[in-house]
Amino acid sequence: MSLALRIALREMRAGLRGGLRGFRVFLLCLMLGVAAIAAVGLVREAIRQGLAEQGATLLGGDAQYGFTYRRATDAERGWIASHAARVSETITMRSMIGVGDAFTLTQIKAVDAAYPLNGRLVLDPPDAVLDEKKGVPGAFVDGVLADRLGLVPGARFTLGGKTFEMRARLLSEPDSTGRDTLFGPRTLVSLSALEGTPMLAPGSLFDSAYRVQLRPGDDLVTLKRQAAAQFHGTGMNWTDSRRPSPGTERFTDQLSAFLVLVGLAGLAVGGSGMSSATSAWISSKAETIATLRALGASAGLVRRVFAVQLGVLTVLGIALGLLLGAGLVMAAAPQIAGALPFPVAVGLSVRPLASAALFGALTVVLFTLWPLGRMTRIGAARLYRPGRAGGWPGWGAVVSSAVVLIVLAGAACAETGRTGLSLAVLGGVAAALVLLALMGRGIGALARRLRPLGRGRPVLHLALAALGGPGGEGRAVMISLGLGLTVLSSIGQIEAGLRSAIRNDLPAVAPAFFLIDILPDDRAALLDRLAALPGVTRTETAPMLRGVIDRINGRPAREVGGDHWVLRGDRGVTFAETPREKLTAGSWWPAGYDGPPQASFAAKEGAELGLKLGDRIGVNILGREIEATITSFRDVDFSTAGIGFVLTLDPAALAGAPHTEIATVYATPAAEAPVLRLIGHDFPNVTAIGVRGALERVGEALASVSKAVLLAASVTLAVGFVVLIGAAAGGEGARAREAAVLRSLGATRATVLASFALRAALAGAVAGIVAVAGGVLAGWAVMDRVMNLPYSIAWGPAFAIVVAGVGAVVLAQIAFALRPLGLRPARVLREAE
Amino acid sequence: MADTVLSVADARLVLDGGAGPVEILRGITLNINRSESVGLVGPSGSGKSSLLMLMGGLERASDGRVTALGEDLGALSEDALARFRRGAMGIVFQSFHLVPTMTARENVALPLEIAGAPDAWERAGAELETVGLGHRAGHYPAEMSGGEQQRTALARALVTRPAILLADEPTGNLDQANGAAVMDLMFRLRTEYGTTLILVTHAPELAARCDRVVRIEDGRIAADEDRA
Ligand SMILES: Nc1ncnc2c1ncn2[C@@H]1O[C@H](COP(=O)(O)OP(=O)(O)O)[C@@H](O)[C@H]1O
Ligand SMILES: [Mg+2]
Repeated sequence: MSLALRIALREMRAGLRGGLRGFRVFLLCLMLGVAAIAAVGLVREAIRQGLAEQGATLLGGDAQYGFTYRRATDAERGWIASHAARVSETITMRSMIGVGDAFTLTQIKAVDAAYPLNGRLVLDPPDAVLDEKKGVPGAFVDGVLADRLGLVPGARFTLGGKTFEMRARLLSEPDSTGRDTLFGPRTLVSLSALEGTPMLAPGSLFDSAYRVQLRPGDDLVTLKRQAAAQFHGTGMNWTDSRRPSPGTERFTDQLSAFLVLVGLAGLAVGGSGMSSATSAWISSKAETIATLRALGASAGLVRRVFAVQLGVLTVLGIALGLLLGAGLVMAAAPQIAGALPFPVAVGLSVRPLASAALFGALTVVLFTLWPLGRMTRIGAARLYRPGRAGGWPGWGAVVSSAVVLIVLAGAACAETGRTGLSLAVLGGVAAALVLLALMGRGIGALARRLRPLGRGRPVLHLALAALGGPGGEGRAVMISLGLGLTVLSSIGQIEAGLRSAIRNDLPAVAPAFFLIDILPDDRAALLDRLAALPGVTRTETAPMLRGVIDRINGRPAREVGGDHWVLRGDRGVTFAETPREKLTAGSWWPAGYDGPPQASFAAKEGAELGLKLGDRIGVNILGREIEATITSFRDVDFSTAGIGFVLTLDPAALAGAPHTEIATVYATPAAEAPVLRLIGHDFPNVTAIGVRGALERVGEALASVSKAVLLAASVTLAVGFVVLIGAAAGGEGARAREAAVLRSLGATRATVLASFALRAALAGAVAGIVAVAGGVLAGWAVMDRVMNLPYSIAWGPAFAIVVAGVGAVVLAQIAFALRPLGLRPARVLREAE
Repeated sequence: MADTVLSVADARLVLDGGAGPVEILRGITLNINRSESVGLVGPSGSGKSSLLMLMGGLERASDGRVTALGEDLGALSEDALARFRRGAMGIVFQSFHLVPTMTARENVALPLEIAGAPDAWERAGAELETVGLGHRAGHYPAEMSGGEQQRTALARALVTRPAILLADEPTGNLDQANGAAVMDLMFRLRTEYGTTLILVTHAPELAARCDRVVRIEDGRIAADEDRA
C-alpha cells in the first residue's frame, strides 16, 4: 500500500469517529445534484425507449407518407400500395362540431377500413362501428368532449355542415403521442363520410397520411430511399417507426436538456458548498499538514493523502445520489407512466446513471482543485505562525480546472445534445461565479473603505469588518448564496415568463377568432354577414396556402438557416397586391406585376436566417417548387395574434394555385357566440378557432413544462438550502467565539444578533443583486432567444427570490447564533483555551 | 468592608465533563478591596481561569455568591451582566480572543463603541500607543506576534478604564522586557485610577508585585498571603 493511501486511511478512520461531521454538506450537495440528473436521465431514457418500442404503433404503421393540403394522386397511391403489404389512409383537419346551437372546435381524423394497422382503438361501448346507419354516418367523439357537449351514443351532431351520429366515446387512439390535439379534441369519422362534405374542397387545410406495413423482406432504409426518389419535389414528407414522433422526441429532448442543465446548475451550487466544505476541512487539518510537511512529506504526498480521502467521499456521495435518483424514479414510476400519453416502461438503465455519476465526479474535481491547490502551499511554517487559508492555488490548479471545465462542458453538450444552450448555461454559471468572486473582492474593498463609517457604531463596524477583514467568511457565503439565488432567480424568471404566456395576456388588439378554410367564393358573403353582427368590430382576410421553405439561394434551406422555426414543417404563405405591414427594406412589387416571382420576408426572421435583399427563396407549395427573389422585408408583429405571414409572394407567382382564405374576426366577448353560430350554420366548411381557447390549450402545454421546471428548481432549492445551512453551521464555532468575546466586552445579545444579521443581510443583498441581474439575463435568453416568447422582467418573482434568499441567510445565521448566545461566554471561550 | 469591590462567598462551580459532573471550584471565599492587586497562582488545571470567569460574570456559580461593585452577579440577566461589565470590568483572556476580522485599533475601540463612547477611535489609538503598538494599529491579529496580540488584548481591556481588571496570564507570552512593560502599565492604571487588579499568573516577578497572592489548588484556596 502506498504511503499516501496509508496516511489517508488513518486520517479517515479518525474522521469517521466524528461521524463525517464536516462532510455532511459535501455529501448532501453531491447526492442531491447527482440524484436530480440521474432522475431526469432515467425518465428521458424511458420516453425514448417507449418511442422506439412503440414506434410502429404510435406512427400507425412501419412508415408514413404524409401530404399537406392534398391527398395522394392515384399514381402516387398506386406506387405506395405496390411497395407495401398493407396501406391505411387517414386525413386530419380542424373543424367545428355542432350540437344544436353550440359549435366547438374539433380535430377530425377520417380513417379508412384498414385503420388502425397497429394497435387498437379503445371505445365506450367497445364494439361500436363507423358505418352508415339509415344514411347517417357514425363518429367516435373524444370522451371529454362528448361529455362536455352532452353527446351520448345515438345522438346526432353536425360536422362541417353534415350530420353524424355519435356511436362511441373515444378513449384512446393507438397512433397518438398526445401532441396532436392542440387544435381541439378528436372526432373520428370514416374517410368516405368526409368525402361527401365540402371540407375536402381544394385549398382546404388538411393533412393526409398513408401508413404502410412493410412487405416481408423490405426494409425501411431502402424504402425511404426509393420513396425519396419517387416523390421528389411533391412535398411528401416521410416518417418511419424508427422515429415515430420527431416532434415528441424533440420536445422531450429539449425539456430534458433543460432539466439536465438545471440539475447541473444545482450541482454547481452544491459545488460551491463542496468547495467551502473542503476548504474548511483543509483548514482544520492545517496542523496535520504542517506537521507532515515538517516531517519531510512532499507537497505531492500531502495532496495525494487528501485526494484519496476526497475520492472515497465522492464515490460515496455519487453512489447515494444514484440510489436516491433511481429510487425516486422507481417509486414514482406508475405516476410517470400515467402522465405520458403513450406506454412507457420506466426502469433502470445504465447510461443515464453513468452520465449522472460522471457529472458528479467532474463537479467534485472542479470544485476541489482550488482548495487542494491552496493546501499544497501550506508549509511547515504554519505550525508556529497560524495564518489564513486562501489565496492563489497555483498554476497547476488553474490549468487543471480549465481542462476539467472543458471536459464538463463537452459532457454536458453530449448529454443534452444542445451545444448552444449547454454552453450558454454553463457559461452563465461560470460567469455568475466569476462575477460573484469579483463582487466579493469589490465588497471586501468597499467594506474596508467604508470602515470609518462604522466607528462608534459597533453593529455596523463588526459587519463591515466581517465583510472586509481577512478570512472573508462573508464573501464565501456570498458566493455560494449568490450562485444559488442566481439559478433560482433564472428559473423564477423563466417560470414567470411561461406563466405569463399561459395567462393568455391577450394583446388589447387581439382578434376573437381565426377563421380558416374560407372558400374564396364565400368570402364576400361571409364578410357581409359578419359585419352585420353587433359587436363585430373588424374583420381582416388574406389568402392562404401552405408551403415548406426548402431552399435558400439554391441550397437546402436547413443547411443555410439551421433549425429555425420558420424552416420547420410547413408555413402559411400568402400573396398580396399591397403590403399589409410597414416595409423595413426594399420595395414592393408594382400593381399588376407579372414578372419572375418576388417575395417579401418578415424582417426579424429574415435577419435570423441571414437573408438579405436579392436572396432567392425556394418554397414548395402543393408539390410545386416556386423560387422567388426577396425584394423587400416587412416588420411583422406576431405578438398581436393578428394575421401575419413570414412569406408573402406577388399574386402572379401563385396565380391559379387553389387556395382558401383565412380571416381574423375582432369582436366583443358577447359577440363570440353569435359568430360561432353564424359560421356553424351558414358556412359549415369554415372552421373558427377561438383565440382564447387556443391560447388556453397552448397554456396547458406550457403549464406542464413549467411544472417540470419548478420540480427541477426544487432540487436547486434543496441544494441551496443545504449549502446555506452548511455555511451557517460551519461558521457557528467562529460566530460563537465572537459572540462570547463581544459579550465579555459589554455587548448585549441584541447587539450581537443585530451585527450577525446585518452582515448576513449585506452579503445577501449583494448576492441578491447579482441574482436578479443573472435571472433577468437568463430569462430573456431563454424566453426570447430559445422559446420565441415575449419576455418582460417579472419583478415580483425577482424580488421575492432575493428577499426570500436574504431572509433565509439572515434566519440561518440567527438560528445558528442563538445556541451559542444562550451559552455562558466562559463555556465558549474556555473551549478555545 | 465599604472598600470591598469584589467578593466571592463559598462559590462552587460544577461542569459537565465527559464522564459526569466535575467539581472545578469547591467553595471559594474571597474578598477583594478597591485598588488591591491580587495574584492568583497555582498549578495548571487548579481552577484559576474558572475563578476569573466567575468574577467576570462570564460564568455563573453553581452554588455560592459573587458580588462585584455591590451587584449580585448571580441575580443579573445575561444582558444585564454584559451592560454591567462596560466600564466596570476589563478582561484579558489567556488566548487573547481578539476579533480576527478587525485591526488592532478596531479591536481596542470595540468596547468603547459598545459602551457608546463618542471618542472611541481616538482613545483606542492613544491606548495602543501606551502599550507600545502605535505602529501596529492597522494590523490584523493574524499579522501580529503572540506578544503583540497580548498587548492589544490588554489595551482593549484597559481602554475603558475599568474599575476591575481581570487578566489571565497577561505576561505569559511576553519576553522579559515586554512583560515588565505590561506589568508597569497595569500597575500604573491602579495608581492613576484606583483600578483593582486580579491577575492569574505563573510569573514570579508579577506575583511578587501584587499586594496579595492567592494560591488555588484543586479548586480550593490553599493559601491567601497578604504582602502589603
Ligand atoms: N468545558 C469544560 N468542561 C469541564 N471541565 C473543564 C472544562 N474546561 C476546563 N475544565 C477543567 O476545569 C479545571 C480547571 O480549569 P482552569 O480553570 O482552566 O484551570 P487553570 O486556569 O488553573 O489551569 C481543569 O481540570 C479542566 O480540565
Ligand atoms: Mg488557565
